[in-house]
Amino acid sequence: MNYDAIIAGSGPAGSVTARFAAESGAKVLVIERRAEVGVPVLCGEGISRKIDDWDMVTGDRWIAGRMDGARIYSPDKTCVTIGAEQAGNETGYVIYRDIFDQELARHAIKAGAEYMMNTQATGLIKEGDKIVGIIAKYFDEKLKFEADIIVGADGVDSKIGHWAGIETRLDPKDLETCAQYTLENIDIKDAYCEFYLGKEIAPGGYVWVFPKGKGIANVGIGILASLSESGMAKKLLENFIEKDPRLKKGIPIRFLAGAVPVSNPIETVLDNIILVGDAARHVDPLTGGGLTHCLEGGKIAGEVIGKAVKQKDFSQEFLSEYETRWKEAFGQKIKRNYLFKELLLDMDDKTLNHIAYALKDKKFDEISTHGLVKEVANELPISTKFKALLKHGSKIKEIKNQ
Amino acid sequence: MGKPKAKVDINKCLACCGCISVCPQDAVNWFGGKAFVNDEKCISCAICIRTCPVGAISGEVY
Repeated sequence: MNYDAIIAGSGPAGSVTARFAAESGAKVLVIERRAEVGVPVLCGEGISRKIDDWDMVTGDRWIAGRMDGARIYSPDKTCVTIGAEQAGNETGYVIYRDIFDQELARHAIKAGAEYMMNTQATGLIKEGDKIVGIIAKYFDEKLKFEADIIVGADGVDSKIGHWAGIETRLDPKDLETCAQYTLENIDIKDAYCEFYLGKEIAPGGYVWVFPKGKGIANVGIGILASLSESGMAKKLLENFIEKDPRLKKGIPIRFLAGAVPVSNPIETVLDNIILVGDAARHVDPLTGGGLTHCLEGGKIAGEVIGKAVKQKDFSQEFLSEYETRWKEAFGQKIKRNYLFKELLLDMDDKTLNHIAYALKDKKFDEISTHGLVKEVANELPISTKFKALLKHGSKIKEIKNQ
Repeated sequence: MGKPKAKVDINKCLACCGCISVCPQDAVNWFGGKAFVNDEKCISCAICIRTCPVGAISGEVY
């Protein structure tokens, strides 16, 4: 079986890549190891309203709630509010990721992409050094597909990149290990996404509460794998829920575990190979949010694949247009926020409280980590600044000047 | 008797793939919706055990 491009993984990055590649004339197959697109959900389900401008999902079946803003709580519960002043000004959505993913797949299929479920990539086919296809397992059947481009949209544990020779293993300090309950019967009335910081609450990460309306919320935790012990994420999450009077009567209707790469960008293009989404580490290392990057990156990848097919050029050099363009779109942001993640890790709870106290009356009118990062950089106590300067040198300046 | 090798309790594993992502030896793989440890490759570093958010991996002595 011959295709122009085979995409391993039917998450948002995979489906958007498939759609835009197919729309530009490529013959595309998406393979997915799981039995259903978007299931199980492995996500906090928050997304920026940026996607309104992109026309990638239609209708509103995928929207659980429109958010009015966000609240960030320091360890002593000092609150920094973003977007509170403009009631009704939508700052983001909480979504149903399963429906969202299926919408993206529907658009890809409408554009001409084929999908195969229960089909797991097990290796690459090479002729000499050249990658010419992919080996997959469909139930018990071993299948071989020939393709000019293999796209690794295979998530945090990407094997496509690894098989092709890209260093994809994550250092434990670059992975957030996560757990999340979806709780019914909770007492949250307003539409604010909440984030809770603190070494005791979530070492190297945070707890989030994302309301989905109708007394339902996603309550989750991410902790840095390098600071984690066996089962710690689940335990700390349950402690948090137990202590929050709004949540403790909640009835769980879903529990999930997840893993989020929070690393610096990696190489995403080789001859005949493209990595997208979590596999490409297209996640904001500060927030752990990745959906918008995955969609933006997927669109670029799809367009470049279309061009490559027309030109019959699948070299790293030709495909590197993808890498250049995603770096222009959000590469700098990932690098900056990686640095900021490291800075934040060095701060003790006292410092976080101090910063939150200094920022609590500031008005942030949009959910922008950039604005927040700048403000926090301004408020760093001298001792922290000094330590950070020793460790990270001129890069701090870089953060402030951007 | 060698060092304990990591072992996944498939009743607890939710296939988040964190262990697969951090294994320095490519010893953990996805199989039918669960994580599996290849004993031949496992070097008993316990990184996967500490990473698991639900405590599904333990060290088992062979």
